[in-house]
Amino acid sequence: MRALIIDDSRAMRSILRRIVSGLSFETAEAGHGQEALDQMEAGLDPDLCLIDWNMPVMDGYTFVTRVRANPAWRNVTLMMVTTESEQGQIVRALAAGAHEYVIKPFTPDAIVEKLQLLGLVDKGVLA
Amino acid sequence: MTALAPELSDVHAVVEQVWSSFLGDEEPLLPRYDASGPLPADDVWSAAVSIHGGWAGTVTIELSATLAQNLTRLMLAMDDEPLDDADVADAVGELVNMVGGNIKSLMPGPSTLTLPYVAAGRAAHASDTTEVARLDAAWVGEPVRVSVHTTS
Repeated sequence: MRALIIDDSRAMRSILRRIVSGLSFETAEAGHGQEALDQMEAGLDPDLCLIDWNMPVMDGYTFVTRVRANPAWRNVTLMMVTTESEQGQIVRALAAGAHEYVIKPFTPDAIVEKLQLLGLVDKGVLA
Repeated sequence: MTALAPELSDVHAVVEQVWSSFLGDEEPLLPRYDASGPLPADDVWSAAVSIHGGWAGTVTIELSATLAQNLTRLMLAMDDEPLDDADVADAVGELVNMVGGNIKSLMPGPSTLTLPYVAAGRAAHASDTTEVARLDAAWVGEPVRVSVHTTS
């Protein structure tokens, strides 16, 4: 399994990388949505994208809409990981095609729990 | 007119949650009662995010350079490797992003959050803002100040 971590913060990418690497995911990283799209168009084939909302160049919401508009990427699981916690924004992201939504700050267990719900991690696994 | 402001207890809860989630529970964030003036300008990192929409304001964090470097090492899982300013700016910016985003959720919306601004030194404040909440705390003996400002 491969995870693409999309966040403009290197520190946050590092935290998420440690969590999903501990779950045996291979990881790739991008600093904004356009960089992530560029990697995917160049052949990167992630099973999971962890996506911040507020980023320069292309925000996470736009990235979700762009991925969902391409049938070739219909099997990619999209999980928002963001400080944006207004109900309207959560609904908007899920309506656009995100599968899950995690609000920062989070614990590693919160990420694991969401990945278990998505069927990407076996039950009983701890980060 | 009194500006709408978050409760200080809510600000404290947000900061504690961010702190414990990313920096662990082993060393608690403690109140700092001896805070009088601002942190020394030559030994501080500061960061701000602004909120626009249903509520308008700015959330700032000031913390000692030692604390900024320590939390950067924790977030990047680095030991003794040298840190550069870009690493520290990134970590401090993410910290204020999380605190600001969660304070935004306490206030009337819908609203948007800017990307963080980070400075080595004390941050500039806009002249049309008023500080409405301030939390002075310490982590492993190093000071941190979180302030919420509303736009007049």
